[in-house]
This record gives sequence, structure tokens and C-alpha cells, in this order.
Amino acid sequence: MSSESSKKRKPKVIRSDGAPAEGKRNRSDTEQEGKYYSEEAEVDLRDPGRDYELYKYTCQELQRLMAEIQDLKSRGGKDMAVEIEERRIQSCVHFMTLKKLNRLAHIRLKKGRDQTHEAKQKVDAYHLQLQNLLYEVMHLQKEITKCLEFKSKHEEIDLVSLEEFYKEAPPDISKAEVTMGDPHQQTLARLDWELEQRKRLAEKYRESLSNKEKILKEIEVKKEYLSSLQPRLNSIMQASLPVQEYLFMPFDQAHKQYETARHLPPPLYVLFVQATAYGQACDKTLSVSIEGSVDEAKALFKPPEDSQDDESDSDAEEEQTTKRRRPTLGVQLDDKRKEMLKRHPLSVMLDLKCKDDSVLHLTFCYLMNLNIMTVKAKVTTATELITPISASDLLSPDSVLSCLYPGDHGKKTPNPANQYQFDKVGILTLRDYVLDLGHPYLWVQKLGGLHFPKEQPQYTVIADHSLSASHMETTMKLLKTRVQSRLALHKQFASLEHGIVPVTSDCQYLFPAKVVSRLVKWVTIAYEDYMELHFTKDIVEAGLAEDTNLYYMALIERGTAKLQAAVVLNPGYSSIPPVFQLCLNWKGEKTNNNDDNIRAMESEVNVCYKELCGARPGHQLLTNQLQRLCVLLDVYLETESHDDSVEGPKEFPQEKMCLRLFRGPSRMKPFKYNHPQGFFSHR
Amino acid sequence: MERAVPHAVPLGQMEVFQALQRLHMTVFSQSVSPCGKFLAAGNNYGQIVIFSLSAALSSEAKEESKKPVVTFQAHDGPVYSMVSTDRQLVSAGDGEVKAWLWAEILKKGSKELWRRQPPYRTSLEVPEINALLLVPKENSLILAGGDCQLHTMDLETGAFTRALRGHTDYIHCLALRERSPEVLSGGEDGAVRLWDLRTAKEVQTIEVYKHEECSRPHNGRWIGCLATDSDWMVCGGGPALTLWHLRSSTPTTIFPMRAPQKHVTFYQDLILSAGQGPCVNQWQLSGELKAQVPSSSPGLLSLSLNQQPAAPECKVLTAAGNSCRVDVFTNLGYRAFSLSF
Repeated sequence: MSSESSKKRKPKVIRSDGAPAEGKRNRSDTEQEGKYYSEEAEVDLRDPGRDYELYKYTCQELQRLMAEIQDLKSRGGKDMAVEIEERRIQSCVHFMTLKKLNRLAHIRLKKGRDQTHEAKQKVDAYHLQLQNLLYEVMHLQKEITKCLEFKSKHEEIDLVSLEEFYKEAPPDISKAEVTMGDPHQQTLARLDWELEQRKRLAEKYRESLSNKEKILKEIEVKKEYLSSLQPRLNSIMQASLPVQEYLFMPFDQAHKQYETARHLPPPLYVLFVQATAYGQACDKTLSVSIEGSVDEAKALFKPPEDSQDDESDSDAEEEQTTKRRRPTLGVQLDDKRKEMLKRHPLSVMLDLKCKDDSVLHLTFCYLMNLNIMTVKAKVTTATELITPISASDLLSPDSVLSCLYPGDHGKKTPNPANQYQFDKVGILTLRDYVLDLGHPYLWVQKLGGLHFPKEQPQYTVIADHSLSASHMETTMKLLKTRVQSRLALHKQFASLEHGIVPVTSDCQYLFPAKVVSRLVKWVTIAYEDYMELHFTKDIVEAGLAEDTNLYYMALIERGTAKLQAAVVLNPGYSSIPPVFQLCLNWKGEKTNNNDDNIRAMESEVNVCYKELCGARPGHQLLTNQLQRLCVLLDVYLETESHDDSVEGPKEFPQEKMCLRLFRGPSRMKPFKYNHPQGFFSHR
Repeated sequence: MERAVPHAVPLGQMEVFQALQRLHMTVFSQSVSPCGKFLAAGNNYGQIVIFSLSAALSSEAKEESKKPVVTFQAHDGPVYSMVSTDRQLVSAGDGEVKAWLWAEILKKGSKELWRRQPPYRTSLEVPEINALLLVPKENSLILAGGDCQLHTMDLETGAFTRALRGHTDYIHCLALRERSPEVLSGGEDGAVRLWDLRTAKEVQTIEVYKHEECSRPHNGRWIGCLATDSDWMVCGGGPALTLWHLRSSTPTTIFPMRAPQKHVTFYQDLILSAGQGPCVNQWQLSGELKAQVPSSSPGLLSLSLNQQPAAPECKVLTAAGNSCRVDVFTNLGYRAFSLSF
């Protein structure tokens, strides 16, 4: 409707028809005397609640009017048209009211939104301010902490303590009155003092440096002077050589030896030093010397450039010889083995002189790649020895030093690392090369200061002087005892092979004057043969028969009775006694298995050996044991009880004086000889 | 073929000497403790060792359980004989008899309770004591040995009450006949003599070697072992092992054993004997050999049956002789294990 559209316009609208509803609407002017109509201002003046009531009322009216129009229209009739028209106009007015209300509502809404927006903006602005301030606060706080934490370099300097400061510093620096009260000033003063001190010390330092320079120069001068002295002294020594020889003081010789000793490898050097020291201090019969070529020893340590030149030369040569046949694999392996077992060109010789003028010559070599030492031994006597057949092993270089210490057989290398080296070149054991290289006994390694501990294998074993020193005396004594006992045995064997048991006069008291049983045979037997004998099983089971021992068979006879004695001789004779096992052939075969008395006879020589040792070194033990066996056989045969059923006299009449023939549950014969009464009794 | 050597430890002087001593050791006597759990053994070096039977027989026995618990030097000479009273161990060797308290023995370093020497006639050589016998009714101990006499010693006072003479050569063994009470003794002179303890006189003599069925002249006439079971007696040694009826002094059964026997005992309905030869023989009373059980020593000198009621689990037969081992037989059929010095 056109009236409706004109109402939509904000500017002032002149109402054409005033409806009854007009009364409710106020068209008031705003404060501004403008010609325009401000609905915003109107909004402020109206009460939203009343507007809402108005709205409701208007809607109701409209509904009523529409209902009435409907009514009238349905009734029909001409006069109705005016009323319908009236009502139509009224409803138009109502429509306008509604539109106004709608506008007002929109305006209210917009206002509300604007206000909210403004308020929000304000809040944002404050918020921003707050953030800014907080940020600034934080910044300031950081700055403060930084300032507080600031460590000035002066605090790192260790200043002298306060008391010292006040004591030492001169008053113009310490300024006690001022600084006592004010810590800042105090610190400043202390720093001043520090600076003073440092300056003084720097001065001193410069002075000392210059002093040192001076003194060094003086030292240089004096050194030159001394070195010019050396050739003059040498010439004096040369001149004195004839005098030395005249006076039997071979200082020069010893000096030369020490010179050579400098080229010895460390273990040999340790041995040399310790042996010489021991010889000079304790044992005049020991003499030490070095053999071998010093030049070769020096050549072992050629400087690298030379060897590189050699290599390039040999490479050139090799290229030329490629056409020729290369050495076979076996020869190559052989060469490698030789290389591995190579000895150091120098070796140490020890000569031990014994009382009877026999000498034990020991040659010690060092195997460089294996880091072990070996020894070769030789015994020379004052007079030429005729070796009896059974004594061939006694003094042979291979076995004379075997088992010097129990179990030290010298057939295996003591260095566990060598096994890996051997595997590479196909060497099974060092035993095959022992004849050529010497024996690597454990005591030899100890004398050279080499120690190969089993529990913690060390990577490199170095020679240790204290180890050598601690073993030197014992080993030398053992070596001497060994040589002497072997020589004694040597002599005894010569006599035994002729059937005579050599009993020395100071041991005669152990035996009766008349001994009828005779030794008829004395031979060596092999280790395997000993193991095969039927009456030696006990000894083998007890572990007393090993391949390092020497084995012999003795035969003692009297009449028809033959006594075989199998002897185990331990290399450690005579501290370790020989062990006898007996087998008697007389009226049947009797051994310790079936005859208690044979067992007792064995016990007499094996267990009661200490009384048979004789004078101090105990070398008479073996011969005394053999003589005792002869006596025991006598007693056994003579005291055998006579069998009444057999006719004829006893083969062996009793000649020995015995108190009782049998004793104890085993019915032992009286084997113990009592001196000087000369009768036999039981133990 | 090489025989393997049992160990590779290098032998120094001390080890060689000890090995030789063990090889030549002879165990002469054994005795079971009153509680039945321990066994004492005496050897020819005069040592007495105590083994713990209960430890060695238990299921957790290790090698160390078969070694002695205690070792001490008891006599200067061999310990030829030992018996146990209900509290003491009595041992005899070269001329002396000593007693030890069982309760104290197990603590090391115990000293002897008492020692006595019977009055000997000769002083040139101290005679050995080969056999000890306890007479519980009189609380006395009988000793016999090298001086050919039986000495009776009262255990309470220690005094020597009687000396029974009659043997012409030294005495090997003794046996007690409970009922009478009578003592039987067998000696080197080949005779078994019966002595009445109340009258201290010899009542019967059996000269075994004079009987042709059992005498073996090539072995000698000595009687090495005796055992008696009221009317019956079994003896052996040089002559063959024979069962005698005492009242009539006749040999009833001869056991066909060639080797001389050194120890014989009655056990249930069997006779156990041991001697030269490495086995324990079990005989029926009829003379049949029921079993021959090998032992580890080449000859046996002593058998001991542990029948102490307090320790039924240690009921074993132990045998010892010419070695350093004591064999233990839990079942008479085989050797279970050996204790060793």
C-alpha cells in the first residue's frame, strides 16, 4: 500500500490518515532542532515492555479485524463494503504500527550491539595495557636479576684473607679507616693490593728467568769441558791395561763384558746381571760369560730406512726370478718354522764348579719370537769317565737337568701364547726341537725374570729382576746337588754292574758283617717295560712312576732263591728316594700280593729310607738300599720255618741272631738290624 | 698302549713319602663305637683313625665322607688290636694298652684316658699285644700276645689280676665262651687252649696240627684266628679252617680254603672268614662255600660286623688288611665302597 511504503522512509513523514492507533504513537522531536526525525532518539524514550504489549495488542486487533472482515465477506452484501473498507484501513494502520515496532526493535538491537562493541573495545584496550605493563615488569625483573647475578671478574681472583691484608698491605693502600666501614672500598683496596703484589712478582719472575739463562750457559760450557776430558781418560785406561794384567785385576775384561751385555735381550740381561751378582757375593765357583756375535745382535735393530731399501731391492730381484720356480710350500713352511725358532745371536754361559773339580756348563739362549729361554747342559769331569751301560742317561745333556724342580720336565714351552704361534707354522710341540735348541725349563724362565702366570695370561711378559734374584740361590744349589748326585750314581753304577754293592765305611754300621746274598745283575729297563711288570702295578697306580723317571732292574741271588727288584729312580735323587718293588722266586713266586713278608721288605727300603741316607748329601741311599735288600733276603731265607713233612736239611741254615722269629698277627720276620749288638728284631 | 697316570701333580719329597707310606700301610684292627655310627681303625704306623659310618653311608655321601674324621697317633708301634666298651675305646700295640673316651675322641687332640703295661717276664724286647677280649660279666679285659701269657685286667681298678700260662709260643687270638665263662686262646705253637676264668686254670687243649685232616705242614702250625659259639669252635691259620665240637675235641667240618685265614667269625647261620687272598669267604656250617666276595686289599686281617642296636642303618661288615683301605659291605654279597686313610 502506498501509505505503507511512505512510512518506511526515515525522514519525516506526514501522516495522511490518522488511525485510532495513532494515539499511541508519539512523534516527538528530538533535542536537536533538526528537521529530521530520529528514531534512535525515540527508542531511548520508549519502554520496551510497553512496546511489547503494544505489539501483542496490535496483533490481536489485526486478528480480530481479519476475522471480522472474513465474517462480513462471507455474509456478503453491499453495505458491508464500507465496513470492510474501514476495517481494512484499521488493519493498515495496525500494519504500520507493526512496522514501526519492527524498526524500533531493529534499532534497539543495533544499539545494544554497538554498546557491547564499545565496551568490548574498551576492555581490549585495557587488556592490552595490562599486557604491556606485565611485559615491562617482567623485563625489569630480568634486568634486576641480571644485575644481581653479575659477577665481576674481581671475585674470581683469590684475594688474600682480610687479616693478612690488613697486616701486609701498606697503609696507603689499605686505608683502614675508610675501608673498615665500607665493603665496597674495602674490596677496591684489596684489589689494589693484589695488583701491587702481582707486579712485584712479575718482576721477580723476569729476574729469575734471566738468571736461569745465565746458569744454562755456564752448564753448557762445563759440559764441553767434560766431554773433552773423556778421550783423555780413555787413553789413560789403555795405558793402564798392561798394569791390570800384571796385577790380575781384569777390570777391563769385566768392562768389555758389560759392554757386550748391553746388547743382550732383556731376559738374558737379567740372568747375566743376577748371576754375576750372585757369583760375586755368595759363590766363588760360579763364573759367567757371554758368547756369540755382537754385530749380529746389533744388526737385529737396523733403522727402518735401510730395511725399506732392502725391501725394494729384493722386490726388484723377485720380479726377475718369477720365471724361476718358487720354493715349494714345504720349504716355505720350514723356513717359517726356522724363523719362529730363531735364537738371539748372543747367549750367556754359566760354569758351576763342584768340589771334585767337575764342572757343569750351562748355555742359556733366548728364542726371540717365542719369548722364552732355553738351556743346554754339559758336565765335564776332572778325569775322563768311562760310562757304564746303565749310567748312560745319568749325565746325558738331555736328561741331566730334568725335573730339577718337581714336574719341570722341560719338554713343553712354558709360554702359553706360543701354542698359537706354533699352530700357524705347524709345529706340534717344542719337544721335537729340544735337542737343538735346549730345554725350556721353568726355572730357566724364572732366572731370566720371565713369569708366565697361568691364571691371568699377560699380553706381554717382561723380564723382572726380583723374580730372578729370588730364585737364583736355590736353583744354583739344586744344580750343584744334582750334578754331584749324578756323578756319585755314575760311580756307583760302575761298581753295581760288576756285582759289587759299594758301601762306604761310614755306612757299614747299618749292616751285619756277613752278607751272603749277592747282587748279580744291574740293568736299565725302559719305562714301558716297567709298566708291563706284574708286580709294579701298585706303584703305577699311586702315580709314582712317570716317564721322567729312570728305571732299573736288580737281581739278587742266594742259592736257589732269586729276588728281582724293580727300581724307580726319581730325577730328584737323593732327596726323593728310589722306590723298590720286589718279586721273589723261591718255592713259588712271592710278591707283595701274596706274601706279607715281601711287603715288609719293601717297606724296609721304601718307607724307612731316611736311616739309609748316610752322610749329609745322602748319595749313598741307593747303594745302602741295595745292601739292605741283600740283608733282608738273607733274613727271609734263613728264618723260613722248616716244613716237617719235607725231608732233608734246610737250604739256608739260620746264622743270624734273632730274638724271635715271628711276631704280630701277620707273623713278620725280624727285619730290623740292631747295631752294635748285631741281632735282628722287629720294628 | 700307554697306561693313563691317575694325576698330573708334580710330586715333591713330601708327597712321595706320603704315597709310599700309604702303599705300605696295613690296617690291623677295627672297632665300632657304642653308638654304632663311627668306626675306629688302627694301622701299622701306630695311628688310629675314626671314620663316620653314618656320613659315609648316607645318601649325600661325597668323597670326603670316606676319609677319616679324626686321625691321631696312638702308639709308637702298630695297633694290633682294639675293642670298645660302652664308653671307651681300648687299643693295644707294642706292649701297652691304652684307653680313649669315645665321647672325647671326636674332638681333635684328645689324650688317652689311661695306659697300662701288663707285668712282663722278659725285659729284652717288649712283647706285642695281639688280642684283647672284654669279659662283661667280670668287667675285665684280657690281653694276650708276645709273652705267651693271658693277662686279666680289671677295668675299674686297672690292676692285673691273673696271668694264665700255658702257651709255648706267642698268642694270636682270643675268644670268649659266654656260658662258662671260659676263654679260648690260639697261638703260634699250634694249640687252642681253654681256660676257666674262675679257677684260672687250663681246662682243655686242642693241638690242631696233630690232626691229620686239617694240618698243613707247609703252612706251619700256627693258629691265626678263633671264634666260638657255645659248643662249637672254628679256628684256622696254618692248618685248614676247621669247625670243632668242643666237648669231644673233634673236628667236624673242614673248610676247603687253601690260603691261611687270619680272621673268622660266626654270623647268623654262616661262618665268615678272611685271610690271605683278596676276598671275604662265606661258609655254610656244612662246609660249603656259599660266596666269595672280592675286596680291595690283597690280603685281609680284620673283619668287623656293626651290630650295635643304636644304629641299625649302619649295619655293615667292614674288612681291612694289607692296604690303606677299609672295605664296607652293606650287603654281604658285594663290596659297596671303601673308606680310605
